[in-house]
Amino acid sequence: MTETLQTPAATEDRSAEVSVRDLTVVYRTDRGELPAVSRAGIELRAGEITGLVGESGSGKSTLALSLLNAVPAPGRIASGSVEVAGVGDVTKLEGKRLRRVRGGALGYVFQASQNSLNPLKTVGKQLLDLGRSHEVEDLQGLVRRARELAERMGLDADRVLDSYQHELSGGMRQRVGIVLALVLNARVLILDEPTTALDMISQAAVLDIVRAVHRENNLATLIVTHDMGVVSEVADRLAVMYGGRIVEHGPALEVLQRPSHPYTRALIGATARIVGDTTRARALPGRPPDLTTLATTGCVFRDRCPLASAVCEEEDPALVEWTPGRYRACHADPTGDRP
Amino acid sequence: MKGFLRRLSVRLAAGLVMTAVVATFTFFLIHALPGNPGDAAYEQFVMQGMAPEQARAKVAVIYGFTSHESLFQQYTSYMGQLLRGNLGVSISYSGVPVSHVIASAAPWTILPVLTGLLVSFLVGVTAGVVAAVRRSSRWGGLLSLSGSLMAGVPSFVLALLLAFLFHTLWGLLPFGDTSDVTLTPGLNAAYIGSVATHAVLPVATYALLSYGGWLLSMKSSVVSALGDDFILAAELRGITPATRMRYIGRNAVLPLFTVLALSFGFMFGGSVIIEHIFDYPGLGSLLLQSIGSRDYPLMGGAFLLITVAIVLANILAETLYSVIDPRVRR
Ligand SMILES: Nc1ncnc2c1ncn2[C@@H]1O[C@H](COP(=O)(O)OP(=O)(O)OP(=O)(O)O)[C@@H](O)[C@H]1O
Ligand code: SF4
Ligand SMILES: [Mg+2]
Repeated sequence: MTETLQTPAATEDRSAEVSVRDLTVVYRTDRGELPAVSRAGIELRAGEITGLVGESGSGKSTLALSLLNAVPAPGRIASGSVEVAGVGDVTKLEGKRLRRVRGGALGYVFQASQNSLNPLKTVGKQLLDLGRSHEVEDLQGLVRRARELAERMGLDADRVLDSYQHELSGGMRQRVGIVLALVLNARVLILDEPTTALDMISQAAVLDIVRAVHRENNLATLIVTHDMGVVSEVADRLAVMYGGRIVEHGPALEVLQRPSHPYTRALIGATARIVGDTTRARALPGRPPDLTTLATTGCVFRDRCPLASAVCEEEDPALVEWTPGRYRACHADPTGDRP
Repeated sequence: MKGFLRRLSVRLAAGLVMTAVVATFTFFLIHALPGNPGDAAYEQFVMQGMAPEQARAKVAVIYGFTSHESLFQQYTSYMGQLLRGNLGVSISYSGVPVSHVIASAAPWTILPVLTGLLVSFLVGVTAGVVAAVRRSSRWGGLLSLSGSLMAGVPSFVLALLLAFLFHTLWGLLPFGDTSDVTLTPGLNAAYIGSVATHAVLPVATYALLSYGGWLLSMKSSVVSALGDDFILAAELRGITPATRMRYIGRNAVLPLFTVLALSFGFMFGGSVIIEHIFDYPGLGSLLLQSIGSRDYPLMGGAFLLITVAIVLANILAETLYSVIDPRVRR
């Protein structure tokens, strides 16, 4: 993967399937509109799996939904753009054109994909609904493609197409979700917490499948997760979110081995503790912020940061490329003083 | 299919047991009432100047039992007759079998109740969907308000109001009886038209009474379905709004089918007041009349029919439910 060293902000990068720029998403609350995603930038490129990690409430799902311009009310995209190759800026689309991008160019596997099917219709019937919604003329061809995908994922296609949701196991539902996301030949696959609801064996199987379909279809894939294990297993690139900001971003292996942002280090430390490496165990002090407790000036991480200094109170650090291919948003010295 | 038939027969058997229980209950209730009904009739005949033995004999004929039999013997013979479809003989319609009296009154309750229920279900459910989808607009708010208002109106108030407006004040609709008495019943336009116009007021009352309930339950059901995971998932797959609406509608209407059966029972109960107000000779009127004239066999028969109707409605609702919802099939 030589291209992993390309800059994610490069505007003329032809292989970028999705480029998010300066994206801010706000939710309307009792205290006015508060940002759940702030000035985020990320690129998804063909052939690359990007892992997006962060604690609960850090804005991962909100960012992922923004890629389809599908932030649910009372949220809205306040500024920024989401360029999708061959489609344009998704944040400017409306109505039918927007609808056709969802499920068309962009395949989304829902966070709660255990319940992502209509319980009253068979998978096959819902596949046909999907085809008709996207004005597919060759419905037989669509079913054939769905069968191929399903078989490829180790499903008994005939049985699955004839089944209702309640007749499928968790792992099977997840795979059906992926089939439906890809059956219209999406170039981009977005999976929100694809393994959270599954047991260990199904988790491994689903990750294998994601890796396989990703490679075979040369997709640009985004996996949203709070599980560092998932990221280390499948991701080529890693983006870390905190308080609505992308605080670190770079090649997955490098970030995992040499995390630069204090929050990334803490996250990896916390994971190491769970894995059993007690010498590196380190609790993440404090609680993750929510929209109302998020700092409005300075660095959003400073209350929990061991390296916080005076400048962190004043200035919100921007995401900058501190070494080729690696990005971080922090005032402290990137290499020194590991806490 | 096999499972379906098996469950249907289980339900039918349960319904039969239910009916037997109610029949037993009615029997003992009537016999526990102060003043043995036979004694009451006997006293009445004596007062009318009948000789005591003659009066006793007549009572025995009317009730189909002689009151010196033990209660248990009376009960077994009553149930035995019941199995043969014999509900006894009416007192107030002297000598006419109860089953005949009921059979001629039943359609005038069952048809209006069913029609009213069906109309209100269709209208209420549709309005509920609109009220849910447009809940932040003025029209949606007004629809919901109409539902809350209608759900709160007592049946007799509504019936009296409709009778006053459409009959007394505007003279638009006839009132009392099932048709114009001067017409000969049969398949002629004049008679059918008359039956239809006479039925409008009771049917409208039944419909309006349950409309608010349908609207409000459908609205809350749709609102919760709107937030269901699979609806958001369908949106993220680019499913058309029309198809999503169908998904929502079918999922939201499901819990209402159980309520449909219950309200059929409620309406049957409500028919007592409504038929009384409209002077409409259905089962409700018959029941009231049988109570007034202490016609115990007729009372028992009417209770029993109402029970059977409710039991059947429940079986129908459950069967319908299992056809629509794949999760309870099999
Ligand atoms: N509908 C909403 N109204 C108001 N605030 C919301 C809404 N949805 C999400 N938020 C807030 O936005 C922030 C980001 O939420 P989001 O769901 O994107 O987080 P996440 O990283 O996906 O978390 P998780 O790991 O729990 O899925 C949270 O603080 C959340 O409370
Ligand atoms: S900017 Fe300051 S507070 Fe924020 S992470 Fe860096 S050192 Fe910590
Ligand atoms: Mg989430």
